[in-house]
Amino acid sequence: MIHKKTCAWTGLGLATALALSGCSAASDAADGTVNLQMVESLTNPARTDVLKGLISDFEAKNPGITVELISPPTEQADQKIQQMLQSGTGVDVLEVRDITVGPFSTNGWLYDMSDELAGWDGWDDLTVNAAKYATNADGKSYYIPYGFYGASLFYRTDLIKEAGFSAPPTSWDELLTQATALQDESKSQFGYAFRGGKNGNTNVVLAIEAYVADQIDQDNAFKLTDGSTIFAAPEAADALETYFALFENASPPSSVAWGYPEMVEGFANGSTGFLLQDPEVIATLEQAQSISVDQWTTAPMPTGPTGKAIQPMATAGWGTAESSEHKAESAKLISFLSEGDASTTFTQKNSLVSILKDAADSDFYKTGAWASYVTMNENPDTYITAVQPRDSSWWTDWIQKSDSELQQVLIGQMTQKELLASWDAYWVEKWKNA
Amino acid sequence: MIDRETRLARTIRIVFLAIWLAITIFPLYWITITSFKGPGAIFSFPLTYWPEVFSLENYVNLFSKAQFGTYLANSLVIAAVAATVATLISLLSAYVLARFEFRSKGALMMAFLVTQMIPAFIALGPLYLMMSQLGLVDNKFGLVLVYIAICIPFCTVMLRGFFANVPDALEEAAMIDGCSRLGALFRVIVPVMKPGIVAAFIFNFVNCWNELFLSVTLMNRDQNKTIPTALNGFISSFNIDWGSMSAAAVLTIIPTMVLFAFASRYIVQGLTAGAVKG
Amino acid sequence: MTSPRTETLERAATSPSAPRRPDPGTRRSQRRTFTVRKSLTILAFLSPALIFVIIFVYYPMIAGSQMAFRNWNLSNLTDTSWVGFKNFAAILTDPVFYTVLRNTAVWVVASLVPQFVIGFALALWLRRKFAFRGLYQALIFFPWAISGFLIGILFRWMFNSEFGVINDLLSKVGLTDQAIPWLADPTTAMVAIIIANVWYGVTFFTIMILAALQSVPEELFEAAALDGAGKTRTLFRITIPYIRTTLALTVLLRVIWIFNFPDIIFGMTGGGPANQTHIITTWMIATTQRGDYGQASALGLIVVGILLIFSIFYLLAIREKKAVTT
Repeated sequence: MIHKKTCAWTGLGLATALALSGCSAASDAADGTVNLQMVESLTNPARTDVLKGLISDFEAKNPGITVELISPPTEQADQKIQQMLQSGTGVDVLEVRDITVGPFSTNGWLYDMSDELAGWDGWDDLTVNAAKYATNADGKSYYIPYGFYGASLFYRTDLIKEAGFSAPPTSWDELLTQATALQDESKSQFGYAFRGGKNGNTNVVLAIEAYVADQIDQDNAFKLTDGSTIFAAPEAADALETYFALFENASPPSSVAWGYPEMVEGFANGSTGFLLQDPEVIATLEQAQSISVDQWTTAPMPTGPTGKAIQPMATAGWGTAESSEHKAESAKLISFLSEGDASTTFTQKNSLVSILKDAADSDFYKTGAWASYVTMNENPDTYITAVQPRDSSWWTDWIQKSDSELQQVLIGQMTQKELLASWDAYWVEKWKNA
Repeated sequence: MIDRETRLARTIRIVFLAIWLAITIFPLYWITITSFKGPGAIFSFPLTYWPEVFSLENYVNLFSKAQFGTYLANSLVIAAVAATVATLISLLSAYVLARFEFRSKGALMMAFLVTQMIPAFIALGPLYLMMSQLGLVDNKFGLVLVYIAICIPFCTVMLRGFFANVPDALEEAAMIDGCSRLGALFRVIVPVMKPGIVAAFIFNFVNCWNELFLSVTLMNRDQNKTIPTALNGFISSFNIDWGSMSAAAVLTIIPTMVLFAFASRYIVQGLTAGAVKG
Repeated sequence: MTSPRTETLERAATSPSAPRRPDPGTRRSQRRTFTVRKSLTILAFLSPALIFVIIFVYYPMIAGSQMAFRNWNLSNLTDTSWVGFKNFAAILTDPVFYTVLRNTAVWVVASLVPQFVIGFALALWLRRKFAFRGLYQALIFFPWAISGFLIGILFRWMFNSEFGVINDLLSKVGLTDQAIPWLADPTTAMVAIIIANVWYGVTFFTIMILAALQSVPEELFEAAALDGAGKTRTLFRITIPYIRTTLALTVLLRVIWIFNFPDIIFGMTGGGPANQTHIITTWMIATTQRGDYGQASALGLIVVGILLIFSIFYLLAIREKKAVTT
């Protein structure tokens, strides 16, 4: 009897299981409607909402096309995208990043959209930078950027005033002076939200670049015009001195391990005076209760001794999979997202620097925390744009190496000099082999 | 229970249990109060151990902005089905490994153990390819199949250990009384082994409930997402949405806690007197 | 001093399934008669498990393992030629690998021992009835209900030395007057990840041991108590031997799991500061993030090798002990 009962339960289980399979993956309908599979990489829930809105606008304008948006968590997204691309199924449109375009295109996973986009009238509206990424050096269009991630200096207007400064710092040296003045560990008041943890290399590289800004190769921000690396320049040693003094004198001691969540928290809870971060942080800070909107704003990036800084250009955009069977429709979706209102909505809602020329005229970018970006864009001789070699196939290797060695310096296992020597040797070696 | 406890032993026991309880639930407490803080209050400093204002905003957002109900239902169904089937299948294989002597037995045990040693990413590529050829990508049934498979080895080894505690005299007697082997297993041994089986089921359930990588890889659309994917979605490149995440975590913990509360009764149920005599 | 009765009990406890074996003669004839039937039973009972595991675990695992012997780098998959043991050689000549090995040993041992001891103690104490035991159990089982990655970032948040709740509590209680730089210092970072792992893993042992304890017949305890056997003696001579197989397998599974459990470390420290909290499996994830799946797979096979050798020796060791005691 019990035996029978067991069988019944097993049967019931299997039936449930079969019922689960009732809904199978979406495929093209018989009426000729094309279904596009679109995967995003730098996912966040708010951004996904914006994207869904834009997609329904697109579907309304293009009755024959439906779009299925796939939104994996951002930390696992690129691996999932690789899996899809490698298997050649399940993806038409995908988010391509400046750090993934190299590997993806080398492996033949990305489709060159030049033909589909040849007659696109959005080309003329793109900024010089956007156009540069949309068509690579070989004339191929693997992706159209949707916006740029830039950095600026978030600072506490009230705190620097109390400390007796009338204006925010413009250079790394001034930043060190002001941040040190703000630091008071006994009151849990810190000067600078130092980045020692994951991706800690980005800010130290920004400092080095600012110190060598006059000699930098704009096509490769890790190279000087004389062909040597920026890490070999004597100015790089000065940059490190200031940068690590910022850690010693003006930062929370545990910031050795700080990544973006701690940096943002430190600024948002009111205990830290300065924060060098992407504009995406603006939205988070506007919500913060510990500091009100009139207590903080942004300043342009700190400059080096010669009064110049390098604007990092990090970007991502939309591309088409080589394995897609709907390349024309994919290109249609991508061009829709890369022009006019759709593009403007996407960049503004996600706090990105726009890809469109006329965005600089929009009021959105002239007000509040955004004003520093306009300042930087209006002074390209001071805030020079130079492209970091983020498309190198060894970029993630470099990130891991440089993050780890930065921490070694912070915990006293390596000297600043050894750090620069190691980084110089690394890039010399890589460029020699490339 | 006959043995008596000295006063000292009793005090030690109570103090230890209390301290461990405090250590265990403090993070739960911390997540819970965070989930009731408004979006701006999460980063308040100095720390507040009790929210000044109780806000349900984070919970409301989960259901209004995200389809959290769908994810919960998906996870519940997938984990329950996979854990049940895996426990049943493992019961059979563990029984054989515990009760029979055959040449390849040791190798078989090792083969089950090896599956616990090898990192998942090695298998991920071929698995994805196979599942997409079978049409089982973005399909709950497909994920259930894979979850059953990944639960079986661990569950078998675990149940094999529990079988060893049950004297084989028990089912021998039943078989002499005319039971089939399967009948003896389910009629005589399963009731005796209930604590072990319930423990095995819990582990299967919790492992499926928390599984992230296979779920992210094999599921695409919102309607098929599971809880861990949704939880991980609150971490973006520039922000951890602590408010939504802690609210989601609290909602994720509740079903498991209910399961634990329900199951722990079976785990400590003990044996009916005289069921096992060595 | 023990009475003969307790001795018998202890022997019974050592091998619960031993005493009822039929005598050798009948056993041999039975074996001959039922060989075919027996094989069929074995096959029938095993096949569902084998089918699932072979299709969904072994096939993809073996298909994927070949990457370890190929030049398999995601940054360029146009050349995935076979390279023999080159990936293994690259790992073994990297000095970081040996730091990572040492960390792994510390991580496994320092996590396992407290997990086992606390888990065992809780299980013994939970056997006893007390008010709200069910609620207590449900509450202390809760860590298992959260996924490892969430525990990782939650503990990273709590262990933050300036804004984290742990330092705040410690200073309120008066245990420290200075903030401990938990995750910023290699030693304290290791301590922090192990604390998180112990917190997480005790539940596993509690549930397993509690379940196993239920199979110990009450009569054994009663008899032992009547004979005046002390508590400690009862524990070591009756309870532990009786559930020995469960304990041994639980410990083995746990060793394998802790070894292969990168989630908490990845969430809390990412292997930092300066690689000082990397274990083999987090190091392997870092390798996959660099796109070098060849080397990462080789690391995976090294993990399997280490654990396989450990398991074989471990299982042999238990078997020997069994032979001695019975």
